[in-house]
Amino acid sequence: MLLAAGTGSRTGHRTNKVFLPLAGRRVFVWTLDATAADPAIGPVVLVVRADEVEAARAVLAREAPRRDVRVVVGGASRHASEWAAVQELLPSIEQGEVDVVLIHDAARPLSGPGLFRDVAAAARQHGGAVPGRRQPGLLHRDGLAVRAGEAVGVQTPQGFTARELVAAYRAAADAGFEGSDTAASIERFAPQVRICNVPGSSTNIKITYAEDLFLAEALLARSSFDVRRLGPGAAGGS
Amino acid sequence: MEEPEYADLTCTACGRTAEHELRHVGRLLATTTCTACGHVVEVVPRSMLTGYLHDLEHRVTSKPVRMARRARRDPLRFVRELPGALLRQPGKLLDELGTLIRGR
Repeated sequence: MLLAAGTGSRTGHRTNKVFLPLAGRRVFVWTLDATAADPAIGPVVLVVRADEVEAARAVLAREAPRRDVRVVVGGASRHASEWAAVQELLPSIEQGEVDVVLIHDAARPLSGPGLFRDVAAAARQHGGAVPGRRQPGLLHRDGLAVRAGEAVGVQTPQGFTARELVAAYRAAADAGFEGSDTAASIERFAPQVRICNVPGSSTNIKITYAEDLFLAEALLARSSFDVRRLGPGAAGGS
Repeated sequence: MEEPEYADLTCTACGRTAEHELRHVGRLLATTTCTACGHVVEVVPRSMLTGYLHDLEHRVTSKPVRMARRARRDPLRFVRELPGALLRQPGKLLDELGTLIRGR
């Protein structure tokens, strides 16, 4: 599941950042590329805002014509968008065609296929997997330093066994609960699922600041515009 | 210089998530401007030259595949637009190189 709907807080009618050009392609198409390297990954569900469905389909036809991508309309929150995507996958999950669901921010175009593989494998083994990187140099609000190794910055893709994910989201819908990310719903409504931490990637930046676009462009150039060379298990990746 | 694009990004200067104007030279991002506070992030044009040439190499080598994809998608439109596109390319490349050498 590629989440590209945002939170609905954008101003005016400007471009959603995942539709911005990045080294000749749209940001979310690079993200999609990372899922293409592994034939075991699929189907892909792209979640966008209602007013961006046609634009998303046009970009896919132009830049990724051979990819089977289902475009669905997201909700007003990340949780609602995830639930919309889960419902799209429901028939495949119930038929046993999908055993693990990976949820990824489309604004993270440089995760690399290795991270998808690692998260899927860990989720299959443990029930849930979330990539993270140690965050040195953090302080508690009271000014005391966080000890090395105690804090991790969470990344995506996050992976969960499909049936447990569906059960947790159904329970969350019944309870009117909206988690800040996928793991929050799993922790609350499927506490039996063990969520393990998978080493994240230094290249797995989320396009948030204007400077991130410059960095993403440079990282793509360094990888010769091949996302398979980014992330864990790739030459030059980490 | 290409036509600007606009997107909501977070500004490192004012901290607001606001509309940013983005300008590219070829496929490379050259400047971003926060429309809320005016904060500009830019790459010195001359320092982009190496990256631009590397990117240009990739543009040229990937062009046949991209053209074939366009031709398959809409053959009539491809044939209709090809002459104009071919004629525009040299001027476009000179304009991009001129921007990098002379500055913006």
